[in-house]
Amino acid sequence: MPMNKGPKDRSAKCTVRRSVHLAALVSALATTGVVVLAQSEPVDPRVEGLTFLGEPVLASQVMAGQQLYADNCASCHGASLEGQPDWRRRLDTGRMPAPPHDDSGHTWHHSDRMLFQITKGGVGAVVPGYESDMPAFGEDLTDAEIAAILVYIKSTWPERQREFQAEVSANDTGG
Amino acid sequence: MKSIEIGCRPNRRKVLAAVLGSGLATVLPRLVQAAVDGDPAALAFDGDTILLADRGLFVSDDAGQTWTAAETLGNVLSLATHRDRPGRVVAGLAEGGVSISEDGGASWRIFEARLPDGEITAVAIASRNPEMIYASLRGDGLWKSEDAGATWSLAMDRPWLDDAERELLSLASVELETGMGGIWIYAGTEVGLTRVPDCFCRWQDVQPGNAMDALVAGEAPPSEAPLPGGEPILSLASAPSAPEVMYAALRSGLWASQDGGVIWQKRASKAATAVAVHPRDETYIAALLGGILKISRDGGATWIETGER
Repeated sequence: MPMNKGPKDRSAKCTVRRSVHLAALVSALATTGVVVLAQSEPVDPRVEGLTFLGEPVLASQVMAGQQLYADNCASCHGASLEGQPDWRRRLDTGRMPAPPHDDSGHTWHHSDRMLFQITKGGVGAVVPGYESDMPAFGEDLTDAEIAAILVYIKSTWPERQREFQAEVSANDTGG
Repeated sequence: MKSIEIGCRPNRRKVLAAVLGSGLATVLPRLVQAAVDGDPAALAFDGDTILLADRGLFVSDDAGQTWTAAETLGNVLSLATHRDRPGRVVAGLAEGGVSISEDGGASWRIFEARLPDGEITAVAIASRNPEMIYASLRGDGLWKSEDAGATWSLAMDRPWLDDAERELLSLASVELETGMGGIWIYAGTEVGLTRVPDCFCRWQDVQPGNAMDALVAGEAPPSEAPLPGGEPILSLASAPSAPEVMYAALRSGLWASQDGGVIWQKRASKAATAVAVHPRDETYIAALLGGILKISRDGGATWIETGER
């Protein structure tokens, strides 16, 4: 026996259809929202205006670098990158104290490549025969860890120093 | 900024000394050109004018033919000028301090915010910035002023060479790129030549530009012919018109380099105590050789004697 399809049944069917459409719309909006949210607030955002060896720098690198700096560098270069006291005066050993890495020092005059070489191979890697208390970190830290320390240091510089150092790095042809 | 000046209100003694000195120099120009071998002396070009500091300051506008004595604020040990600032003369004093003239040595001033006490053995003006002045303080280090002598700060301790800190006897701002966004400051010491980038990271030997490439590649290092080792470098000059052209005054003679100090060749065998190069002609040099001021117009190949001891 065929079912009677009166006005009540049609009304119910329309209600169901509207609900399905609404659910689909909500789902689509939700999906779009997630996508938009994912695009505007990434988990690991790039640090604006900061690169290292030509590559963009991520916030996670800076954070990791800050901890690595504290563990490996701060004992000589200072917790606030301030360097050793009276760092322009030679020690009794004839060697120079650890310089600051903030904008009062000279670190921002050196290219990314040179900073990486010095950290990995020691100052002697760029100035043969130069005697320094700075060790070569190549055996204790990975290349990625050294890069993270350097991007942390770079992230603390004011805009002028960042721009100057970016130009020095861009002009560094590897000679 | 307060400064002490001379030239405006000279006293009777100073005027008499200047007049007598000037008269003697004009009448007997050869007398003022004599420098005892090894005595501190300094030379500089201010445009075409030659300044000679040798137991007094003397100025010549005719390539050393005649001289006029100039008054100073002390015993001048070192001189510096700048091609882009005619008339500016910087003088390092034996009594301490750096005095500045803006009129070719006719009048001088010295700022109250002066350097620590001590003999100023050498001065230089930054090639790219005539407001930046460098001064070496005996027993101390290299100082810099970013405001033409008004204020000073320590730039760098003295270089460590042959297991000791060494005095800076001569300075030259050399407009050759360091790769660190600046240029080099060369220094002559008691035992040889050294240089520091103007970011003041570290003193280092003069090396060919491609020395690091060769080191990394394991290749033979580029050829070098350094200045004689262990010998004081009394005076240094880099040609503003061709910065890679340099001259050095040593007791062994007058030496020249065409490549920023990597390869040196002797250009005169008599003991040299001072040298200066013309701001627009890298082959026009003045040097004290054997105590006598001589001029060369061909980079030291031939010399014209302008006076005798």
